Amino acid sequence: MLNYFKFEFLHFFYNKKNIAVYVILLFFSFYYAMTAAPSYDPIEKVDAQEMEARYLTKEEFLNSVDMTHEMHPLTAYAVQTYPEWNRFEKERLDALAKKDLKAYAEATSGWYTYSDWMIYAGGDMLFYHPRYYTYGNHYAREDGHFAYLSAASRYGGYADGDYALSIDVFEERTALQTWQRLLQSYLPFILIVSCILLTADIVLKDRRNPTLLRGFPMSPWRKLLAKGGVALFGSILAFLPLSAGLLIIGMKHGFGSFDLPVPIYSHDEKTFSLISLGEFIFQNTAFIILWFMLIISLLLLTSILLRNEFANLFIGCAVVFGEFMYYTRGIGFIREVEWYPTSFIQVGQVLSGYRNYVYESHMLTFKNGMLVIGLCICLALLITFIISNHRKFKQL
Amino acid sequence: MRNVLKTVIMIEKSNKKNIVACIIVAVFVFGFMSFITTEEKGNLVKERTGDYQSVSSALYKFQIKDASEGGDGSGLYKNLVRQQRVISTQRMSVRMGIPDLYLETSLELADLRDAAFKMEGYKDVVMYLPSKTENELQRIYYQHLEKEGKFASQEPLSYFQFLGYLFGLIGSLWFIFISIYSCGILIEEFQHTSLIKGYPVSFGKYVMAKCSSSMLMTGMFILLLFICSLPLIFYHGLGDPFYPVAVYSGSIEVYSMIKYIGISVLYMILIALFAILLSVILNMLLKNMYLTMFVQLFFYISPYLFPSMMSLVPFNPINYLNFSRILNGETLDLAKPAALQASDGLLVIGVCIVVMLVIVKAFFTAGKLKKV
Repeated sequence: MLNYFKFEFLHFFYNKKNIAVYVILLFFSFYYAMTAAPSYDPIEKVDAQEMEARYLTKEEFLNSVDMTHEMHPLTAYAVQTYPEWNRFEKERLDALAKKDLKAYAEATSGWYTYSDWMIYAGGDMLFYHPRYYTYGNHYAREDGHFAYLSAASRYGGYADGDYALSIDVFEERTALQTWQRLLQSYLPFILIVSCILLTADIVLKDRRNPTLLRGFPMSPWRKLLAKGGVALFGSILAFLPLSAGLLIIGMKHGFGSFDLPVPIYSHDEKTFSLISLGEFIFQNTAFIILWFMLIISLLLLTSILLRNEFANLFIGCAVVFGEFMYYTRGIGFIREVEWYPTSFIQVGQVLSGYRNYVYESHMLTFKNGMLVIGLCICLALLITFIISNHRKFKQL
Repeated sequence: MRNVLKTVIMIEKSNKKNIVACIIVAVFVFGFMSFITTEEKGNLVKERTGDYQSVSSALYKFQIKDASEGGDGSGLYKNLVRQQRVISTQRMSVRMGIPDLYLETSLELADLRDAAFKMEGYKDVVMYLPSKTENELQRIYYQHLEKEGKFASQEPLSYFQFLGYLFGLIGSLWFIFISIYSCGILIEEFQHTSLIKGYPVSFGKYVMAKCSSSMLMTGMFILLLFICSLPLIFYHGLGDPFYPVAVYSGSIEVYSMIKYIGISVLYMILIALFAILLSVILNMLLKNMYLTMFVQLFFYISPYLFPSMMSLVPFNPINYLNFSRILNGETLDLAKPAALQASDGLLVIGVCIVVMLVIVKAFFTAGKLKKV
């Protein structure tokens, strides 16, 4: 078994296609670190000019409003709420001017909580940051709500704990935070698609020289297991070229720390709680490796069932992009999306609770994901086992 | 020479790589069609709303003040508020179907933006607004439309309009595609030198035949772009072949769509020839397909990695490999602006092709083959 594993292992790493996949990943990570990462422009950034503009606008209103006569109810509302709002804003500005980042984090957390409380309840009178209201986005208010509360919780974490704070940490630009942000966007797709590309031909390449390989004294099932193991190892190695880009980002913006807080949304309580960045990344990695196992076992099954590389690629991609077929905001309220394995593909968003928020579901959790995907893996492997022991398929 | 070419083409015909490449080109064209549909290209309301959005974001940095003529807001603030108002008028004119008003307000917007560049504090909002060149391209385009009495919006999937979008994108992908296609052009021959020694022609001629057959395939790819778009004529009409496209070539000018497509095709042919000859030379030097590909890709991305190189060495073919970027005048907005002209690019690449041909000829004359 071990010898066969070694044999497959060498084959895998001398395969030109696999080398190309790694090189493309390396290219991608360099490109990202060089051009995409510096142009990252978060909406919740540290921008003194914006704060000052908001502060002065409200302050001037408060100074000029005539409170001796009867007021319009909205004016009265503004007169009552603006002083508190501006107190937070002033604290933020002062802290930033004094470079007291801890005080800034505390005031910012308060500002986001208060702003969200005002805006979300305020109906159509007050608005979130204008960049949420893009063309065709009917959920701008919901997006802003989530982002403000998430920022409030994150900054609260910065204020409470004892971290090495910097503007880069606030804007999530450090290497580890970049990794965390990417896990919540398209990094899972890239990793899982490269897993598909690495695995697509691992069984079917044997059909080129069947007579050579028939000589191995092994059952097809054990051969398949060895191949799966090699593919899993190769897929996990795909993390390596990607981390090269992180080194570059780390040198530019600092590496951050594994202790930094990451806000996690709980749909039951509608609140955010904090976990450490290290824990978040660990959970993500575990989940992605589980996804690798699902993809590999599925592709082993299709390889012996359909015996075509393109069928492999197609089915793999169908699993990865299947979610787009049924994804609509709030659909989880009606349909039981938590039982579709494809709902868990955006690993980072599932773990941070954002998927629960957009699906209006409360079952898209780490535990549930492990259960659903684990069951799928078992099913795929079971069918593979039965088929590979069937006489007709014994010769692969 | 003719017989060699015939033989090479016979061999190439059975090469699966060519068929796969053709399929990739076709899939790309059809994929781009669906991309244009989903992105709602040519939807002026969407475009204007995006613009409105950016100006709102820029205004978020300013205290709300009196923006009237004698008001106490800063000059830039007043300018941005006026831009926002003009964009609203544009949106309204599209919704109500008043093309004249749309053109008029577009020119007004270009003037406002032009004035804003010189204003104090512009640096803080620069990321939300178009660059100087982009603004100038817009202005010339709208001026031309006004002069010709044409509409500002065209059916995005009509034949010529679609080709315009297509070639605008292909300019940045063509070199990569051809270098991946041609990176292994002579690897087989260099790995089994005894094979070529048996041919009854000089190796130089054989290489030329190989290059010609690759160029024929490249011609096929370009034709395929036109052929795959043909169904659009049936579904969405032919479109206007003389519709203006604003481009940079020395100064900002207006090309008709046909001229734009013609220049793009000319560029594509020269770039393909350049890439193929580069592959031959790199194959000879490196004797490895992947290394050849990486070196070529590195050439392609080097202007992005070292943007100051563009103004330092303007007569460098590498600068012109992404010709969409040249025609857009993007290089004018760099930190160190480089006034690269499309016509210079054709000349530089042409000269390089001649030089490379001479090198290839000199190396591959019969006598020196044994060293290879």
